[in-house]
Amino acid sequence: MTTMKTRSGPSMKVYVTVWLGMLMIVAVEAVLAGAHVSGGTLFAALLVLAFLEAAIALRYFMHLKYEVPLLFWTLIPGLLLAFLMMNQFWADSVRMNTFRFP
Amino acid sequence: MGMTHLMEGDVSDSAMTASGLHDSPMEPSPFRIASRKLTMWLFIVADAATFGGLLFGYGFLRFGSPNWPRPFSFSPNIVTGLFMTVILLTSSLTMLAGVTAAQEGRRSGAMKWLGGTALLGALFAVLHLREWSAMIREGWSLTANPMGGTVLFGAVFFSITGLHLLHVISGVIAILVIAVGFQTKRLTASHVETTGLYWHFVDLVWMFVFPLLYLLNVH
Repeated sequence: MTTMKTRSGPSMKVYVTVWLGMLMIVAVEAVLAGAHVSGGTLFAALLVLAFLEAAIALRYFMHLKYEVPLLFWTLIPGLLLAFLMMNQFWADSVRMNTFRFP
Repeated sequence: MGMTHLMEGDVSDSAMTASGLHDSPMEPSPFRIASRKLTMWLFIVADAATFGGLLFGYGFLRFGSPNWPRPFSFSPNIVTGLFMTVILLTSSLTMLAGVTAAQEGRRSGAMKWLGGTALLGALFAVLHLREWSAMIREGWSLTANPMGGTVLFGAVFFSITGLHLLHVISGVIAILVIAVGFQTKRLTASHVETTGLYWHFVDLVWMFVFPLLYLLNVH
């Protein structure tokens, strides 16, 4: 039997460490929400922490770190580009109030 | 770190033939994974774009609505949300234990961990439905806002959390079906791993839904 070897996966010890790290990020998010930080700062901080958690989950829980790099480059940049393109609608959101009928 | 059993990156001849990777005259997959796993990845990317679009829509409406309500209090809403987050994160860990057990050929161990994952998923769903029920009793709906201000909060909240809840319930059913199939030797460790990929994605989506829909709406 031949096998196509890529890279081996992590142990349960690594998974538990990552799980604890993600719980800590959630705790930081909750503290920030309860600390009455200004809206814009809170939004930015929560978004950064959410992307950090997503990156950790993708790398370790979903094993993207242990797959061939081509899989990452095929899937993720295109998705991020789609998210970036959605940003073009913000201008309409700002103008929405002035467009509203009385 | 090193594990001697077949891991997600090792695709056996039989698995490759079954997945169409090895059939001549086809070339081997450049991604070195079984086709069912690649299919799940493609589904996940498409689903991530769906949730991304919904969350952008939420941001659009919130940014354009000067009277956006902030209905959640730290206790009990956020405390419950935190508990639900811990449950979902822990279910990802039990899923990883289930996948590892399946790949090592420990069928009863895999069954135990997958059962635990399904149980945690079901608990998450029950808590979520309980929260929905409390909000509906307060007067929240897709078209109603008991706090005054825009009614869009209910539409956005129930749509996004509803779609996520649908994913959770589907995932619980899928995990139970796969667990029974693996136990009865009708399905392989590859099926368990692919289902695990989906479950981690459900967890990943919640990592955005919880801070953006709950924590940003604390009064």
